[in-house]
Amino acid sequence: MIKASEVRKTVITGEGELTILKGINLEINYGESVAVVGASGSGKTTLLSLLAGLDTPTSGRICLDTDRILTDMDEEARARVRADLVGFVFQTFQLLGSLTALENVMLPAELRGEASAQSNASEFLARVGLSSREKHYPRQLSGGEQQRVAIARAFASSPKILFADEPTGNLDTRTGEIIIDLLFSLNAEFATTLVLVTHDERIADRCDRSIVMEAGQIAGAISSNEDQMVC
Amino acid sequence: MLKLAFKLLLRDWRAGELTLLLASLIVAVSTVTTITLFTDRLQRALVLESASFIAADRVISSPRPIANEFMEKATELGLTQSRTLSFLSMAFVQNRSQFTAVKAVDENYPLRGRLIAGPAPFESGSPVSQGPVPGEVWMESRLFPSLGLSPGDHIELGMASFPATRVLLKEPDRGGGFSAAGPRILMNLLDVEATKVVQPGSRLTYRYLFAGEPQQLDTFEKWAGPRLADDSRLIGAREGAQSVGDALQRAESFLLLGGLLGVVLAGVAIALSAQRYSTRHFDHVAILKTLGATPVNIDSLFFFIFMVIGLTATAVGSLVGYLMQVGVITVLGPLIPVELPLPGVKPIWVGMITGMICLLSFAFPPLQKLRSADPMRVIRRDVEPSRINDALAYLAGGGGTLALMWWYSGDLTLTLLLFSGGLVVAAVLLLIAYWFIHSGRVIGMQAGSSWRLALAGMQRRGRENAVQILTFGLAIMLLLVLFLVRTSLIKEWQNQIPENAPNHFALNILPGDVASIRSLLTANDVKAQPLYPMIRGGIRSINGKTAQARKDNRQAAQGRAPRASSGRSLTWSSQLPPENEVVEGAWWDDDYVGPALVSIEQDYATSNAIRIGDSLVFVIEGRELSAEVSNIRTVVWNNLQPNFYIILSPGSLGDFPSTYMTSFFLAPGQKLVLNELIRAHPTMTVLEVDALIEQINSIITQVSLAIEFVSVLILASGAMVLLASVQASMDERMRQFAILRTLGASQRLVLGSLSIEFLALGFFAGLLAAIGAEFTVFMLETQVFDLIYSPTLALWVVGPLLGAGLIGVIGVAATRSLVSQSPVSVLRELA
Repeated sequence: MIKASEVRKTVITGEGELTILKGINLEINYGESVAVVGASGSGKTTLLSLLAGLDTPTSGRICLDTDRILTDMDEEARARVRADLVGFVFQTFQLLGSLTALENVMLPAELRGEASAQSNASEFLARVGLSSREKHYPRQLSGGEQQRVAIARAFASSPKILFADEPTGNLDTRTGEIIIDLLFSLNAEFATTLVLVTHDERIADRCDRSIVMEAGQIAGAISSNEDQMVC
Repeated sequence: MLKLAFKLLLRDWRAGELTLLLASLIVAVSTVTTITLFTDRLQRALVLESASFIAADRVISSPRPIANEFMEKATELGLTQSRTLSFLSMAFVQNRSQFTAVKAVDENYPLRGRLIAGPAPFESGSPVSQGPVPGEVWMESRLFPSLGLSPGDHIELGMASFPATRVLLKEPDRGGGFSAAGPRILMNLLDVEATKVVQPGSRLTYRYLFAGEPQQLDTFEKWAGPRLADDSRLIGAREGAQSVGDALQRAESFLLLGGLLGVVLAGVAIALSAQRYSTRHFDHVAILKTLGATPVNIDSLFFFIFMVIGLTATAVGSLVGYLMQVGVITVLGPLIPVELPLPGVKPIWVGMITGMICLLSFAFPPLQKLRSADPMRVIRRDVEPSRINDALAYLAGGGGTLALMWWYSGDLTLTLLLFSGGLVVAAVLLLIAYWFIHSGRVIGMQAGSSWRLALAGMQRRGRENAVQILTFGLAIMLLLVLFLVRTSLIKEWQNQIPENAPNHFALNILPGDVASIRSLLTANDVKAQPLYPMIRGGIRSINGKTAQARKDNRQAAQGRAPRASSGRSLTWSSQLPPENEVVEGAWWDDDYVGPALVSIEQDYATSNAIRIGDSLVFVIEGRELSAEVSNIRTVVWNNLQPNFYIILSPGSLGDFPSTYMTSFFLAPGQKLVLNELIRAHPTMTVLEVDALIEQINSIITQVSLAIEFVSVLILASGAMVLLASVQASMDERMRQFAILRTLGASQRLVLGSLSIEFLALGFFAGLLAAIGAEFTVFMLETQVFDLIYSPTLALWVVGPLLGAGLIGVIGVAATRSLVSQSPVSVLRELA
């Protein structure tokens, strides 16, 4: 489903060149859930953004859904891949402030020009328990509610892959647990491939596999079935 | 995609994101529409009004009848026509006689302007559609007492006798000149033959009047011009009233400049609000992109949104502009002495096209920035758009402004000059603005808490604040410039014809009458200019070369003044006449006695290549007189005083018989003094220009009104820029102050600091505006309006105070409500 080969990312800073990712090789299968863990600055978020096609690597190759080679595409084509295959859940929710909860959920379908955007969005808002808040604007919702809207929006477009960047990072423990339960249950229901960046070991434990990042490299992988570190 | 775009548009509208942008655009369109509509109507009215000075749109004036082909051509072009014949004649009633200026007119006269006639002398009358019918004459009020007549009594003109049935109170083309040198008798053209006054050698002026559409008139002018005999002249409305022509031309330049400033100001407001819209939608686009929106999708989304905004704004703006113009005319109508023609469609188009150009050049570049929004921004907020887009925005804005300026003025050179001048001023002001911001650090360290906070804030956002000071400064500068030029223009016009300026000229005064005329005028409390001797003469040769031969060597470009070989009125004077200025050489001493010296007017000297020290030989009454050119001087021609091209030193014309001339002011109630003067001195000729002055004053009143009105509209555009500019910087300020409030800063501290920041920005902007305005006004007054520049010291006080006041009030008013909200809601609002 996702395959990264020799992916490098270098940026130019005031102090010279900084290598964030140093030749990442990675393969994630259909329906698999993978946590990317590691200390701050280890390159987890950069890896996620490259895998999702939000950014381009300095070198290497990233392939989604077997034959969609992101690294050969321009922004226009990558955007189409995101529309077709990918859903997102972000730490900062990233809802459009001028749209209601329902309108936010409708957005991906509207971008694809689907006619049934509204009924589908309503249904997904109901799935995350926010039927009564359809007409509310993000600023009128709590953090947990905003993240639930973001989850509804992510699943409403039936993505094959879901990328989640610290989805509970801005929430308290209790709300975080509710959100994670919701995320995993929907993920299981729709058999979505999940790539999740987190600091939280308990969340990582719920994934099929964890990739440990350290200084721009994959330091190891932990399979949760065997609960064993493979170096 | 269109559906989505429409939804986004509605949602943006609901959220108030579009209000300022839409308002700026509506102001731009309505300002231009109102100004164009109003000036279009006023200009057409003024052209009609100035046409009334010659009672037509074009006139051919000739001392003899012109060929029929001119009339045939005019008929072919669909021009309406009329004819008049003017001559001087004695009118007799039994034993009384009076020298009169007779004008014979046909049934179509006048083609422009109105004749006003009444039943009794010195009373009011009403407009009439045509002049006297055959067999009757009309006479000016003062002729009735002068000849001892009552309306209906008969007078004799040449061999015929006519009843004077009505009193002529006003004729549009009364003007000055020889044919007006006496009280007027108006008669029908068909009666001229019966008088037998027209004999070979009579001094006659035939005038052929034409009126029609501008295009037909242009065609006629081009056709007739080259075919006219040397002694015939084709006169247009503007040549018919030179002083009004100048005023009109300046007014047009001013209105044009006003319109341009309005558009530039509105353009800046549009750019600022579009910039803010774009910044606030940056995250939206990043989110849309993560959700799969392609750059092409983003382009079409926002193109649609902006086209809808553009079309809405142009439609609403045109309507508002139209209604405003109707309102203005309803309010000003009673003050405007002429009837305004109905507005045309063109001004509406001008407004709409301006709106779209403004949108394209000022609003689209910031929008283009949205296209480049990196989806990575959803993860890392510090990802900024590329700087190339900023350059594009400035380039597009500049290009749009240039295009609009060119379109409005139709003069590429003037446009490029103004534009590059504007760029230089902006660059210099930006540098000074940076310096202001930088110097704040030193002052700020010593100040109290709110001060420190405010000045530290200004320093931190140094680049943004410098640009903001520049924007505020330019807006205030443009308003100051407009106000100053307006004041100078109106003052100049009022000075042009000061109150109690001479409105009568007396010519042909015999030397023996000088003393009695002087005492008669003094006895009647009439203020008169000095009496100048006047003698007709021409220049025979210059430095031994005949003037006739030199004529061919004249450079065409310099030929504004009459030829040296033609006859002129000569005078002598011991003193330099008022409002004359010696520009070369020196005026002779009061008690100068010696060989004849001569003073020449500057244009006349240039046109005829006459220099200081040249020896001129005049021919006067068949005798020769030699004189050396001792000085060259300038003359204010439109000051309604006796003015001369050639003045000789005292004593040089002593041997030659001369007459005298003067000018004086008669108030409307003093008009009868003329009768007394003429009766006592029948050989004297009086030119009455009071009606002409009244007409000029009425036009100047209208033009001044138009200018005041345009100034108010521009003020509205300026206020919009200030508001947009304050709004544009608001998010960043509020984010910072919400954090400060969270950390425990009091509302007073925050509001105090904000007030100081806005006041300081306004003060510096006002100071910059004063610098820029002084320079721009200097350039405009000396280069465009041809006025005399004098520095305005008050500007340096008013500028900074106005800036501080305006920006302070707008800034605090816009932030006050936000400061009193809880920090969390402010932060959420900005999230």
